[in-house]
Amino acid sequence: MQMEIWPFLALLAGLAAIAYLLPIVPMRWRRALAIVVVLALLCWAPFVLDNFRTFQMSRVAIMAVAVLGLNLLTGYNGQVSLGHGAFMILGMYTMAILMDSKEQLNFIDARPWPFWAALIVATGISALAGLGIGIPSLRLSGPYLAIATLAVMISITPVLKKFGGLTGGVQGLRFPTPPPPEFLKGLIDRPDWLYFLSLITAVILIFLAWNLLRSPLGRALIAVRDSEIAAAAMGIPVARSKVIAFTLSAAYAGAAGGVLALLLGSVTPESITIADSINLLVGVVIGGLASILGSVLGALAVVFIPSDAAKIVASLPGLGGGIVERAPGAIQGALVIIVMILMPLGVAGVLHRMAGLDVRRLPEVVARLPSRMLKGAQLAAGRFRWVWDIRPWAQRRPFNPDDY
Amino acid sequence: MEALFLAPPPWEDWSLFGQQVVSGFATGAMYALFALALVLIYRSTDIINFAQSEVAMFGTFAMWSLYLAGLEAWQLIILGVLLGFALGAVVERVVVRPVEGRPHLSIVVVTLGLFLLFNSVATWIWARGELPKHFPSPFSFEGVNLGFTSIPQHHLGLLLVGAGVMVLLVLLFNRTKVGLAMRATAQNPLAAQLMGISVGRMLTLGWALSAALGGLAGVFIAPITFLHPGYMLPVFLYASAAAVLGGLTSPPGAVVGGFVIGIGENLLGTYTPAKWLGPEMKLPLILLVLILILLVRPTGLFGERAVRRV
Repeated sequence: MQMEIWPFLALLAGLAAIAYLLPIVPMRWRRALAIVVVLALLCWAPFVLDNFRTFQMSRVAIMAVAVLGLNLLTGYNGQVSLGHGAFMILGMYTMAILMDSKEQLNFIDARPWPFWAALIVATGISALAGLGIGIPSLRLSGPYLAIATLAVMISITPVLKKFGGLTGGVQGLRFPTPPPPEFLKGLIDRPDWLYFLSLITAVILIFLAWNLLRSPLGRALIAVRDSEIAAAAMGIPVARSKVIAFTLSAAYAGAAGGVLALLLGSVTPESITIADSINLLVGVVIGGLASILGSVLGALAVVFIPSDAAKIVASLPGLGGGIVERAPGAIQGALVIIVMILMPLGVAGVLHRMAGLDVRRLPEVVARLPSRMLKGAQLAAGRFRWVWDIRPWAQRRPFNPDDY
Repeated sequence: MEALFLAPPPWEDWSLFGQQVVSGFATGAMYALFALALVLIYRSTDIINFAQSEVAMFGTFAMWSLYLAGLEAWQLIILGVLLGFALGAVVERVVVRPVEGRPHLSIVVVTLGLFLLFNSVATWIWARGELPKHFPSPFSFEGVNLGFTSIPQHHLGLLLVGAGVMVLLVLLFNRTKVGLAMRATAQNPLAAQLMGISVGRMLTLGWALSAALGGLAGVFIAPITFLHPGYMLPVFLYASAAAVLGGLTSPPGAVVGGFVIGIGENLLGTYTPAKWLGPEMKLPLILLVLILILLVRPTGLFGERAVRRV
């Protein structure tokens, strides 16, 4: 059986919604049931999707880890970083250096390491780098921190090219991707195994993050984001929390990079570009700040918007040809803008509202939908009046942050 | 044995040192001019606009079309500024206004979307045939002799324009009511509104002015780097480093930052051991300097420390 990616994702979303919204199991088990359904479908995915889509789904799992890592820092701790691509590429290179069969600088063992050991080292080294950057970052905030971290990302490419003895220079490094273990031979092939590897890593790291955020440390991160002074007054070590957030999020990015290297089997200085690094932040904000579900959705957006958005829009009736086909970036950009305008809290914010839906009242809600949409349209028309109302003397109603 | 340093130390060859400083000065002027646009938008809306470079690129390509239609270089500059102003105002009204008042990150992500949009549309419209394209300058590229080296007239023009814009911005922010209103809007929109400032209009004005300044920078930089859809992105990255180095709130800081980055990059590329650092590492080195300076002065060299009541 073969499936296209979009029917598959629709099926995934539909079944998850059914599991979550219908009274199949008691209230407190609903979320668990929805997660089990999603995981079961994700385990089924490589057998129904073609190789390219399986590869994309592996990338989604990897990007989910990286976006979640950045979300730990930006969404939960309030520090903006545009340089998390640097930690990812650090993880990738650590992985490649340990797993290839060259002897770097007459120092690092030529024998390939087992991938899991290399992955642990890659995560650890990225965490150390995060610690090293997190401590000086204590002094910076807002745009200064954003540009300083972007500077780290910009710098890393020339550095990787220059020190070729360790990194293989412009060509980068290649190594064989790990084959499936003995007991799975014959059941799944190599791309499927890499997909499951990415999925398992993502599930473990997402679970750890979920746990962490419900611990005193996680609450401390959030308190520091909301008000450093209030957090300090509550006895929270502000500086330490911020450094821990940086270290953790760098470790997540490094782990994502490590698995990405496994998936690709090669690393070059261009494997992660500045645009990729900035896209992580786009993923965080589009998915939903301070939301684990949002991080996964953001990863979906980061992977699928560049590859599919323009094609889908072009296939809609009446929209084919012209700008849609020739300028795919315009569609991607417009999509990002539209999502931001319509969904202040990201896609996860919308889902959180829909999760409150009571299924027994569904007919009622559906019946009210037309009138509500009309009211919404009227409201929007009022709010968007500035588009056509260009009289310079027009009075705008007072600025009110609560409107948003 | 391979020489550790490629260049003789400055005290043995002052003219090489002078050449490096002057050429760094010339590139620094580009960064400074664009950094001023970043300072302007930061001061008036409290965000960094990632679409700034692409709006400027878009406007410059439009000017290039007019150049083909037969307009003079100085007319292109004036029209470029006006087009930038209009583009900035339209972008603010149509795309940024709906997310006004939201957390800054939302607005920054909208500007990233705008970046993609403008870049892609400009590529679609103009990036055909031979790239990069030649763009005219009102000045010539003949060198002005300084004795040990020479500097093209165009770069001198760029320097003068940059200095003029800097003075105008200082006057705007510190000596006019509009500038005061713009600063108030960026700092606290609600309080500004209560003081009778039309916040929406100030935000539109801030976007329009900074896009106009970006357009000015675009048409002045295009003759140097030539015109292609990616030509402003490196300038944006350097200029954002320059603006942060000088302090995002200070126009003179942006200019100083631009020169520090332009000159420092050249000197670090020339006078560091080629085996370990050298020309390929000049970018990481100057960014390291940026980060070190930020560690000593977290709001840049001349930036105001934002004091907020709790």
